[in-house]
Amino acid sequence: MNIVNPGKLSDMNPWIVYIAVSARLIMSGVFIYASYDKIMNPAAFAEAVFGYQILPPQLINITAIVLPWLELFLGILLLSGIWMPGAALGISFLMIAFIGALFYNLARGLDFYCGCFSATSTTGVSWWIILRDLIFLALSLYLVAYRFFLDRKKFSPLSNY
Amino acid sequence: MKNFFYYSCKKSFFQLTCIVLAASVAGMISNYSRTAKLPLIGDWTLEARLKSESDKQKPISLAEAKKLYESGSGAVFIDARSLDDYNKGHIKGARSLPWLQAEQLVMDVINTISNDTPVITYCDGEACKLSKELALFLENLGFTNVRVLVNGWSVWKEAGLPVEKDMKK
Repeated sequence: MNIVNPGKLSDMNPWIVYIAVSARLIMSGVFIYASYDKIMNPAAFAEAVFGYQILPPQLINITAIVLPWLELFLGILLLSGIWMPGAALGISFLMIAFIGALFYNLARGLDFYCGCFSATSTTGVSWWIILRDLIFLALSLYLVAYRFFLDRKKFSPLSNY
Repeated sequence: MKNFFYYSCKKSFFQLTCIVLAASVAGMISNYSRTAKLPLIGDWTLEARLKSESDKQKPISLAEAKKLYESGSGAVFIDARSLDDYNKGHIKGARSLPWLQAEQLVMDVINTISNDTPVITYCDGEACKLSKELALFLENLGFTNVRVLVNGWSVWKEAGLPVEKDMKK
């Protein structure tokens, strides 16, 4: 059998594809929504980044300027299904970084603002947010796994799930 | 299959690099075209953070705050944290004015103090903004001598200065 020859969709449990499409759409919504307020209010988002007390001062503004656009671009790519391997990897790295930062600050008892979906929100951070982010991370990793191991149509030009 | 995995990895890292670069360019362009540009490297020192919005406002050092406290000058300490945090422990004699309810509660807290009384606001944590916001708010109400004790609760407690608990329901 030639492995370059694409497998038929019917060879695969359809749920594998359904879950991948759902994960892709959910995560694209999450990332596009999360980017909007931060793009509009970079100064407020910089305050939130500063509040995490993790990055050195030189990197805070750069992060506040670039990160929201990265979220937006990743969200758009997920939505359109273009460049899926790179986008899936990107959101997984970001989710790991977000969870790490939240966990570290909750563990050391810091009083900080999430800045997750709104640059200016003043609600505190609870362990529920980490749980929520772990679910997002699971979806992201599923997309990575799907592209790397499950998607048997990978070499077909039409496969962009 | 090995080949296939290798190409997937290579492809995804290449794509990711391009995405990050594109986001950097977009971020820079959007920041550059904004009226209120964010400097690429910000000044996040204590002085800069407290001075940015009002030139009048000055941070107060712990030593200075202690002197005011002990001199009996009538300086008023105001706790900007939540009532919960206040009840768990606060600077002895401090009044509670949680920033989130400042507008409703402010009159009860300030009606006995004159405009030129030294007022020192504090909250907790280097990055806590509550005390700064509260100080600006009080300045706008006409107080002329408002100072911020940065990371106030922590530094006060660590210095072994007088504290108390549960004064308000």
